Amino acid sequence: MEGLITKQLLLDFFDEKATSLQRKLVEEWLEAPENEELFYSYLDEWERKNPQFFPDRENAQQKYSALLRGEVEPQQPPETEDEDTGLARTYFPYKMLWLVSASVALVMAFFFRSELIYKEYTAPPGQTNAFYLEDGSHVVLNANSVLRVPRFFFEKGRREVWLDGEAEFQVKHTENNARFSVLMGNEYEIEVLGTEFTAYSRARGKRVFLKMGKVKLNLPAGEQIYMKPGSYFSADSLGTYEVSTPQQPEAITAWKEQAFFFDNTQLSEIAEQIYERFQIKIVIKEKALANRKIGGTFQARNADELLETLSELLEMKITQKTDYIELSTLK
Amino acid sequence: MTSTTRLHHTPKEDTSGVDRTFISDQKIITITTDDERLVRETFSLDPREGCALLFSRYYENLCSHAIRFVHSKEIAEDIVSELFTFFWQNRVFEQVTSSYRAYLYKAVRHRAYNHLKWQMHCTDSLDSVTTPLMSLTVSPDEAMQYTELHQKVEHIIQQLPPQCRRAYLLKRVEGKKYDEIALELRISAKAVEALVSRALAKLRKELKENWFLCIQLIMLFGY
Repeated sequence: MEGLITKQLLLDFFDEKATSLQRKLVEEWLEAPENEELFYSYLDEWERKNPQFFPDRENAQQKYSALLRGEVEPQQPPETEDEDTGLARTYFPYKMLWLVSASVALVMAFFFRSELIYKEYTAPPGQTNAFYLEDGSHVVLNANSVLRVPRFFFEKGRREVWLDGEAEFQVKHTENNARFSVLMGNEYEIEVLGTEFTAYSRARGKRVFLKMGKVKLNLPAGEQIYMKPGSYFSADSLGTYEVSTPQQPEAITAWKEQAFFFDNTQLSEIAEQIYERFQIKIVIKEKALANRKIGGTFQARNADELLETLSELLEMKITQKTDYIELSTLK
Repeated sequence: MTSTTRLHHTPKEDTSGVDRTFISDQKIITITTDDERLVRETFSLDPREGCALLFSRYYENLCSHAIRFVHSKEIAEDIVSELFTFFWQNRVFEQVTSSYRAYLYKAVRHRAYNHLKWQMHCTDSLDSVTTPLMSLTVSPDEAMQYTELHQKVEHIIQQLPPQCRRAYLLKRVEGKKYDEIALELRISAKAVEALVSRALAKLRKELKENWFLCIQLIMLFGY
């Protein structure tokens, strides 16, 4: 039985997103020893991306180094009772004494870092993903985006999520006035009370468009901006930003309907958008072609659909190369 | 009938550098991964440094993996530290034929699974797991089964009523005391205790019903 086992499929399997048919393929694939190696390689990568908690590596490493140098002897620790089961905690024979005494200190030291990153919502390239958070807030994730929500999202006074990509939020106002924060990396943070907005955090920069409600935007170096409904904040990767009131907000939210909205948009910019949403690299052969402008709304579920439509308008040729697509003018 | 599974990867993706220098009719395959070349070289110079390097590279990820099974930070860290101790003291690095990464993950899963079993008081399982043997036999299903096990554990916890789940996580994962949790959740310590017991009972019950690893585990590992 032929099958295409990709890294993504394994990652999906780890995320419990694989179908039973896919699991069957993985099972068969695993029969080859070199594939088992790959399995653990991908597993390691997945663990790196989805840490469940933050152990104190430096501390543990120091103790291990001491052991390696022969400075510490493994010894049986005093028996401690597990509060729960009343059973002795010493299940493991070579328990390190220092582990027992150090663990108390570690727990204290990591009180604030003890947040477990609980759930990760993703939208793969080319698809959006809509869902509700525990507090009733509604999120639509754009393609190729990730939203991380800590385990105790709803319990604390603040609701914090991390965004890598693009999403639209409809934040529910909670009774205890818990502020909702979207952290976008590089010290950008959106704080809201109850409101509707879209946030964009990708390599090209950070953008926020406020539809309804009130938003305070925290910028790097302690700067703060208060936004009004209808305003649009846009920063490039260097941190230069501007706030404007766009006349056509459709451009900003077209992605929700699997569409693209262009208004005098250069083909080069379109190529960037395609990369952001579909992870497909586009190279435009002629500069003149790259500068051609397009206007209109285009429905497209994948890059090919969009490019086909555009190729008719612009009379351009689409060539699939090894790992990118080349656009050139038809002679 | 020949069945082939092709590994498909886009050119820009790192293929993890698996060294495929085996010839198809060769029986014994030593799998080495290029991204561990530096580690192997370090081992040949000074195994202490090699162990330390492995520790720094894999400690956090292994802890993260372990906690998916044992649901306790303290225990997860213990398991991983003990594994590395065992690794050094028994010079396991001299006997590993797979990548160190594969060995470490398999060993962590095995130990974490042991602990989970012990916690769930599942005594009607194979005790072959305690045999101090360095194993080269690998059940191909196992890799998937371990993953499915921790996914099952996660499922069970997610199905718990919210307050029950919170109490359980604070107690087991965070390692907080009943009093602390009682304060945080604004209920009595007794209520917390009841919630945690309920969660543990649920876990025990549901895992016992699905204890597929009890029967299918044939992998022997030193512990």
